[in-house]
Amino acid sequence: MSIKKYLTSAVALAMVGMASLVNAGEITHELGVTNVPDAPKRIIVLEFSFIDALASVGVSPVGIADDKKRDRVIPAYTDVIGNEWVSVGTRKTPSLEIMASLNPDLIIADKTRHSAVYEALSEIAPTIVLDSLSGNYPESVEQMSIIGKAIGKSEQMEARVAAHKATMKDYIAQMKNTGNYVAQFGVTNKTGLFLHSPVSYNGSLLELFGFKSNMVKTNGDTYDENYVETSLEQLSVVNPDILILGKYADPAHTDSWAEEPLFKQLTAVKNGNVYNITAHNWSRLRGMLAAELTAADLLEIMKKVK
Amino acid sequence: MRHLSLKYITLVVAMCASALLSLSIGPRQDVFLSDLLSAFATDELSINQSIIFDLRLPRTFVAILVGANLGLAGMILQAITRNPLASPSILGINQGAALGMTLGLVFPSIILLNLDFMAILGALIAGALTFSFANSAKNGFNSLRLILAGIAVGAFSYAMVRFTFILDDDLAREVIGWTSGNISASNWQDVKPLIVWTLLGIISSYLLAHKFNLLALGEAASQGLGANPKLIQFMGAVIAATLTAITVAVAGPVMFIGLVIPHFCRRFFGQDHRLLLPATMLAGALLMSLADIVAKLINFPYETPTGIICALIGAPYFLYQSLTVKGAKL
Repeated sequence: MSIKKYLTSAVALAMVGMASLVNAGEITHELGVTNVPDAPKRIIVLEFSFIDALASVGVSPVGIADDKKRDRVIPAYTDVIGNEWVSVGTRKTPSLEIMASLNPDLIIADKTRHSAVYEALSEIAPTIVLDSLSGNYPESVEQMSIIGKAIGKSEQMEARVAAHKATMKDYIAQMKNTGNYVAQFGVTNKTGLFLHSPVSYNGSLLELFGFKSNMVKTNGDTYDENYVETSLEQLSVVNPDILILGKYADPAHTDSWAEEPLFKQLTAVKNGNVYNITAHNWSRLRGMLAAELTAADLLEIMKKVK
Repeated sequence: MRHLSLKYITLVVAMCASALLSLSIGPRQDVFLSDLLSAFATDELSINQSIIFDLRLPRTFVAILVGANLGLAGMILQAITRNPLASPSILGINQGAALGMTLGLVFPSIILLNLDFMAILGALIAGALTFSFANSAKNGFNSLRLILAGIAVGAFSYAMVRFTFILDDDLAREVIGWTSGNISASNWQDVKPLIVWTLLGIISSYLLAHKFNLLALGEAASQGLGANPKLIQFMGAVIAATLTAITVAVAGPVMFIGLVIPHFCRRFFGQDHRLLLPATMLAGALLMSLADIVAKLINFPYETPTGIICALIGAPYFLYQSLTVKGAKL
C-alpha cells in the first residue's frame, strides 16, 4: 500500500470520526428520527414543558414561543434560564422568520400545534416533535429523557428525573385518603368552563395522586377530548367532591352560576370544597417543576378539604 | 281561509312539540317534563325543577326566538330586494355582526354600551356597505350586484373574525365561544332583551308588510300606489339587520334559516307578506328548535353548536328547492 493510500484512508477515517462526533444523536420522536448535533447550543422551544426540561438541567434556550408575553415564563424558570431569550411569537403560530434569524441548532416542537409545519421547521434546524399539549403526565416525564438525550445531558436529566419521581412519591405519601374523593379540575374564561378529562395532563396527575374521576374516560387524544366544554347541567352529572378551578377571567363564566340552585347543590359547593388555583401554572405549564407546583397546591387543598 | 288556518295550526303544533321534546332532552336523564309543570305550582324549586326551569327552558326560548327572528329577517330582505337569494348571511349582515362583537372582544376599550350593541353596529355597517355597493348613481339598484357585494362584505368580515383564531389561545377560544352558534349556555338574562327586540321587530314589520306587497310589484308601480320604495327599503334593511344582530349576540351567526325559511313558507302560504310574516317566524322557530334537539343528541352528552346543525338541515333543503322549483329565477 502506497503512502498516498494510507493517507487517504487515514483522512477518511478521521472524517468519519469527526462526523460521528458532530452527529452524535439520532433522536426518535413523534414524527420520525432526527439527527441532532452532539451538544446543541442554540435551542428554540415551542411549548412551556420544554422550558421545564431545559431549566431542570440548567440550559437556557435562545428562543421561546412565549405567546409574546414574557411573564408567561414563570420566575421558577427564569431563575435558571435567565432573561436573554428571544420571543419567537405565540405557541400556536410561531414566526419561522424569527426562528431562522436565531440560527438555531435544535428546535423542540409540539405534536398538536406544529406537526403541520414540521418540514419548514426542519429546514431551519434539526427538529424533534413531542406530544406536550395533548400528552398526559407520565408521557411528559418520558419526554424529559428524550430532551435530555437530544441536548447531550442524558446523565444530568436522568438524575433530575429520579429526584423528581422521589419528590412526587413523597407528595403522594403525604396525601392520604385521596381515594375517597372524586376530584375534577377545569379552567374557566368569560364564556365557558372547560373540564380537563381523565386522559388530559392534569387528569392523569389527579389519578396519580389517587383521586377518582366521574368523567367518561375516552381513548382519543384530540384537543376536544382533553378539554371538554361543560354546561352547568353537565357539571351536575360529573358532580365532583372536590372542584379545582383555574380562572382566566374575572368574573369568570362559573361566577355567573353562583346564584343558580343547581350550582349551590353540587357536592363540592355544598361542602365548601371549591378551590381556586393559578390557571397558568396548572393548565399551560407541564413538566417536572410544573408537576411539583401542582402537587404542592394539591397538598394544600387536601389540608383544607372538609 | 280555513285551509290557511289549518296550515298555521300545523306549524304551531309542530313547533310546540319540538320545543317540548327539546326541553325533555339533556345530560341529566332524571329530569322530565313533569318537573316543568310542577315547577309552576311551587315557590321553592327542587333541583330537577330548577334544571328544566332555569337551564333548559331559557335555552329553548332562545332557540325559538333566534329562529323566528332569522326567518323574519330573511323574509324582509327578500321582500325589499325582490331577490330570492337575499338573506342575512348572503348579504354579509350575519358576518358583520360577528365582526362587531369580535372587535369588541379583541379591543375591549372600543366597546360602545355592550357587546350586543357592537353586534348591531357591525350588522348595520355591513348592511349599509352591501346596499351602497349595490346602488350605483348611474344604473340604480342592481340585484346581482347586491348578492356579489354581500358575499364580498361577508367574506371580508368573516376573514377578520377568523384572523383572531390565530391569536392567543384564550382570546381565540373566547371569539369561538361567541361566534360558533352555540346556545347551550343560555339563561334568562339572554331571553329578556331577545323578547323585547322580537316584539319590536314583529310590530314594525307588520306595519310595513302591506308596503312589502306593493314593492313586489316593482319600484315604479309601488310609487304609483303611494309608497316610497327607498324609505321602505331603508326601514326594512334596518329592521332585518337589527333582528339578525341580536340573534348573533346570543347565538353566534346561524346561517341558512334566513335563506331557506321564506322560500319554504312561500310554497305553502303564498306571496302576501301579511300572511307570510307569522308563517316565517313559526317555521324559523321550528327549524331552530329541531336543530337544537339534534345538537343535543348528535354527540351525547356533549353539545354540538346549533349553527352547524342548521346549516346541515338547511343547505340540502335549499338545494332541493332550487332544483325542483319550476321557472326559478335564481
